[in-house]
Amino acid sequence: MHIVCLVKFVPDVDNFSYNYETHTIIRQDSSMNINPDDACALGFALNIKKKNPDTFIEVISMAPKSLIPQIENILRVGFDKATLISDSLYAGSDTYVTSKILSKHLSTINYDCILSGTHSIDGDTSHVPSQIAQCLKLDHLNSISKIDETSFGREVATVNVENENSSVTYEIKLPAILSLTRESNYRLPYVRYKNLNLDVSDKIQIISNKQLKFDESTIGIKGSLTKVNSTHVKKYETRDKKIVQADEEGVQVIYEFLKEKGFI
Amino acid sequence: MKKVLIYVEENFRNESLSLLEASRQLYINQNVETYALVINSKEDSPLEGFFDKVLKIEDTKLQLIDQKAIGEIYSQLQKIYNFDAILFLATSIGRCLAPSVAMKLKTGIVADVTAISNKNNQVSLIRPAYSGKIMAAIKVLGDGPIMMSVRSGIFLYNKVADKKTSYIFLNNLKYNYCNIKVKKVEKKVIPYDIKKSDVLVSAGAGCTDIEELEKLASLLNGNLSASRAVVDKKIVSRSIQVGQSGKTVSPSLYIAFGIHGALQHVEGLKDIPFIISININKDAPICSISDIVVEGDAIVFLKKLISKISEHANG
Repeated sequence: MHIVCLVKFVPDVDNFSYNYETHTIIRQDSSMNINPDDACALGFALNIKKKNPDTFIEVISMAPKSLIPQIENILRVGFDKATLISDSLYAGSDTYVTSKILSKHLSTINYDCILSGTHSIDGDTSHVPSQIAQCLKLDHLNSISKIDETSFGREVATVNVENENSSVTYEIKLPAILSLTRESNYRLPYVRYKNLNLDVSDKIQIISNKQLKFDESTIGIKGSLTKVNSTHVKKYETRDKKIVQADEEGVQVIYEFLKEKGFI
Repeated sequence: MKKVLIYVEENFRNESLSLLEASRQLYINQNVETYALVINSKEDSPLEGFFDKVLKIEDTKLQLIDQKAIGEIYSQLQKIYNFDAILFLATSIGRCLAPSVAMKLKTGIVADVTAISNKNNQVSLIRPAYSGKIMAAIKVLGDGPIMMSVRSGIFLYNKVADKKTSYIFLNNLKYNYCNIKVKKVEKKVIPYDIKKSDVLVSAGAGCTDIEELEKLASLLNGNLSASRAVVDKKIVSRSIQVGQSGKTVSPSLYIAFGIHGALQHVEGLKDIPFIISININKDAPICSISDIVVEGDAIVFLKKLISKISEHANG
């Protein structure tokens, strides 16, 4: 069985720097990590490989080449192959173009199942897995909190999906795209000490537009159908905050306030 | 005349009306003809009078999660009606269908739109990114239609239902079904909906004494809600999470115990008359949007306030 995991590298959203003059994110300052939902997809694929060692697991990411060290670490925990789709022509692609690029590569390879995350913590549009499914005419489920490991095989997968009002178990025919959430808790292990410097360079394949052959006008910023006009840090209407202390007097103030406004 | 198609998901019929307000803001001062698409709907309320046209599909084999079939349906509808905009509610199913339809129609899409700016008919769709830390204004290029998903509770539609709604049964559409079967459905037990609460007592990382918070909530005839930090630690259920990745709430009173107030949290607070925050740091972002700030230990204050209120309630 051949499992493909799609992975996005994202900045640390809690600790990134923002340039208030140019309204851009200072990316050099923020280290890039595997998107948490996507890490669950990797974790699940590793579980399956552990049970069935003849499973071939591959990670595919569209990212700058500067992320090769992070990709090598995914190989060092047991992935068989990594494909990095990277070309400066692809920079600035929106979700529509990104999905087209990934789909074009995926259409040239064999797989039984594609795994991904549901949300990314930076853009958080959840567009790409659905759009790839549409391009490749595959079935797709997102918000998956569990994939049944015992019944997971070439033909079919049984998965749990969490919606607002219900938890639904589906049986989905493969090949399909299964998008996991963090709640699934499949963990990507750390690289073992003895493998920290393991040479995995022969397992990395780099694909650029030389292979994918997109017309330059259809990719990157030029080919995108959405354009970020401006960004700003949202300002909220501030109120005249009256400050009291968490003492008897403060309790009295809040008590009076609640009484005056009719809450008690 | 602009034509807008709104997908009305069966379990979110009332919430879908808010997309009418998004359509209005999209084409301000222009005539808009509104269409609803409903699949396997049990009733016509509350659409009657709000939409110009309701497009109905009745096919028990068609599942709401069927991205392939629904993509094919939209592609045929777009050829017939030539919509200017197509809107989805950003439910977990809507967030899956919308991008898939956009790809099928080869058009751009913006997710989780929280505001629409329209300057001289130049439309920008505003959405949060980076966990709500940044707002981005996005323009949809290309020949359209404009597509977006919108979370419920963001736009409020308060027009009267005075339209003459006509119903169109779509029987001639062609599509293939997905290979997905439902094996089991478990309804989630959600004790209350924080969107409907009049008072919310909210737990943050600085105050996770849930039992005490619930006590206060009950004294104020309100409910407990929480910030993402508390939900991520699995202390409470995600169904009561306030914020961009949770729910947008509009109670009369919001009391934030030990909540820092990151943008992604504040994004979930809308039109709240009174906000009280209790925080060790009086300069935390939540404090600047509060009417009263209690500076100090949230748990200590919580206990004192509960005994004060119960003392007087009993006396």
